[in-house]
Amino acid sequence: MLSRVAAQLYWLSRYLERAENMARILEVGQSFALVSTSDITRADPETIKEPLVITDTLEAFKATGRPMRSDQVAQFLAWDPSHPSSIFNCIQSCRENARSVRGALTVEMWECINDTWLELLVKKKKAKGSNHPVDSSFFEWIKQRSHLFRGVTFATIQRDQPYNFIRLGTYLERADNTARILSVKTRVAQAEGKDMVDDYYRLGAVLRSVSALEAYRDTYRDAIDADRVSELLIFNARVPRSLLFCLEETSYILDHLPQQTGREARKRCANLLTHLRFGTLNEVYAQGLETYLEEFVNENIHLGDAVQGDYLEVLA
Amino acid sequence: MVAPIYNEMCDASGQPRSHYQAFDAWLKACPEEMVHLKQTEADLISRRTGITFSLNGDEDGTERLIPSDLIPRIIDAHEWADLEKGLVQRVKALNMFLHDVYHQQNILRAGLIPSEQVLANAQYMPMMLSLDLPHQTYAHIAGVDIVRHSDGGFYVLEDNLRVPSGVSYMLSNRILMMRLFPDLFRSYAVRPVEHYPALLLQTLRSACWVEQPTVVLHTPGRFNSAYFEHAFLAKQMGIELVEGSDLFVRDGYVCMQTTEGRQQVDVIYRRVDDIYIDPLSFLPDSFIGVPGLASVYRQGHVVIANAMGTGVADDKSIYPYVPEMIRFYLDEEPILKNVQTWQCRKPDELSYVLANLPDLVVKEVHGAGGYGMLVGPTASKAEISEFALRLKANPDNYIAQPTLSLSACPIFVDQGIAPRHIDLRPFVLMGKETRIVPGGLTRVALREGSLVVNSSQGGGTKDTWVLESTEVR
Repeated sequence: MLSRVAAQLYWLSRYLERAENMARILEVGQSFALVSTSDITRADPETIKEPLVITDTLEAFKATGRPMRSDQVAQFLAWDPSHPSSIFNCIQSCRENARSVRGALTVEMWECINDTWLELLVKKKKAKGSNHPVDSSFFEWIKQRSHLFRGVTFATIQRDQPYNFIRLGTYLERADNTARILSVKTRVAQAEGKDMVDDYYRLGAVLRSVSALEAYRDTYRDAIDADRVSELLIFNARVPRSLLFCLEETSYILDHLPQQTGREARKRCANLLTHLRFGTLNEVYAQGLETYLEEFVNENIHLGDAVQGDYLEVLA
Repeated sequence: MVAPIYNEMCDASGQPRSHYQAFDAWLKACPEEMVHLKQTEADLISRRTGITFSLNGDEDGTERLIPSDLIPRIIDAHEWADLEKGLVQRVKALNMFLHDVYHQQNILRAGLIPSEQVLANAQYMPMMLSLDLPHQTYAHIAGVDIVRHSDGGFYVLEDNLRVPSGVSYMLSNRILMMRLFPDLFRSYAVRPVEHYPALLLQTLRSACWVEQPTVVLHTPGRFNSAYFEHAFLAKQMGIELVEGSDLFVRDGYVCMQTTEGRQQVDVIYRRVDDIYIDPLSFLPDSFIGVPGLASVYRQGHVVIANAMGTGVADDKSIYPYVPEMIRFYLDEEPILKNVQTWQCRKPDELSYVLANLPDLVVKEVHGAGGYGMLVGPTASKAEISEFALRLKANPDNYIAQPTLSLSACPIFVDQGIAPRHIDLRPFVLMGKETRIVPGGLTRVALREGSLVVNSSQGGGTKDTWVLESTEVR
């Protein structure tokens, strides 16, 4: 298939996944502020900053001159047109990409994306009028629209290259997101030492943000602790947002794409996958969790670049 | 005195013509609310099929539906047989003319057309000189606009030989009608049109010497008003829908970038105007073309359909000479009539035009889409005198024609049914063989009395039924 069309399918799903992840990060941040037991944590500027640190947008936020308040952070990440990865801009980019490759989508897929966009415009109008706070119902809606698109895709599209490029975008974006959340959240947990109650909420928030709280309980049947959270989200092959799971899927997809191209992408993916399949938590700690995750994020970016260069770029 | 308008359905006494009798009986038996119901259903199906026409400046993603009227335009077998013969003859002659003016130029030597009319024409492309095309085909796809005058005869209004559009409406109208009125198709033997994409693909594949050619459809992109037709046809033919940035030139050939690597392209069905094809040769700041394409084309390493430079044959200044071309190249009498045309560059014809402006339609020779024209009968005195000044300043730029009374066909309106003006655009496919799917696109002016059928200006469409010949059945 045409590289441009493949690229637009890949990016539309990356943008949608990015919007969903942004909603997850913000939602958990807000609910955490509500349940937090200590007043120090509640007003802790570090906690407020977290969504910005995770998404690497702290400097961009400061540049807007907004005061460092959680509602401002949420407004910025959800709506700000100057922030390229705001939820609004992600959905817009998703829809723009979808629109130019409508022929490669099913009618239902297109309608799902287009409806999301039209409804978002209505929400934006409302939000402006009343200085409406960005709340959990909005995040819930974004998540549901993203779930809906995945479901519609699963149920309606032929199992062919377009389907594979759409899924490839999802998993590359998702792996990046899980690694970033884990890195920032556990950094804070470690710095504050072992306070059982605080850990419970903080790490519980991490798990909920990646829909893995139930998986944690089923797997460990024990109190939430930082080591196990890391283990679960890095090495568990059954949790759909763990690094290993994302890379297994990526590898499977790459094996089902044309084999005469994509050598670099398959090589990088195999490398990453080997570390995840056969690595241990002790090895991770020997390197330092933060360093390990930082390296993972970088390698994952290189993998994305390789996919771009091998399959998606015109005039390669 | 205005001649009575020819009504496609009824004769002068108001009785349905023989090929409309069965439809008339069916219509009379139809309860009124059913028609309303079917129209709603039709709109829904059209939206589903995704055949829409996007207007410029479409920001919120709403595309306008081209209204489809549910009363078919029926053409009987004999009439179609004549039309078909006339179309084949005409398009054949136009192709021969194009080959001639880019090679020996015999028609100019014979003095039948003034040389400056061709060689100094803005649509004439010197890059096409002595370039040999497979089967000497220039206009692989022609959309010939035909109207029926009050005398009942068919006249050619325009030969569209560049990038004629509208065929997707012809196809979607048929899908629609078959779904809504299957019983009507049982009482009428309507000749099928659904195989048009297959014929088009065959025409494009046979347009080059490569055995298993790769054919692509080149679109200017999704902001083009006909984008949905491009996407629709590409999907129907199973070929890639490419934009300029998907194509590039390597080692003297055109390639496209695919996920499997680069792939050579042999035939480009382009829906892009000549001057946008190659920024290196024409408009340097255009993004929709392919740099270097023109030179590959000159080497014969790619086929472009329609060929470059076909505009010189469908230009309004050349139109008056088409009957001459038919006699010159084919030694036949033209079957289809031309509309009488006054060429303002000729002093005596100019003075006639100036004296009769209120009765005439005056058009720019290179104009299209209804721009820069004067419709005498509906223009104000001020408009006419202002236009006369422009005409006198640059008479070469204009031709004039009598105001035609387009034939009318009934359509459904809120109050029942009422006649509206229509035209017809059959699509002629030319290659090793010439093929026409029976019928074409019937466009209809939805406003009462209006003669404007363009979809950009509120026109609608109708399904066009050509009936099987009764002798054959």
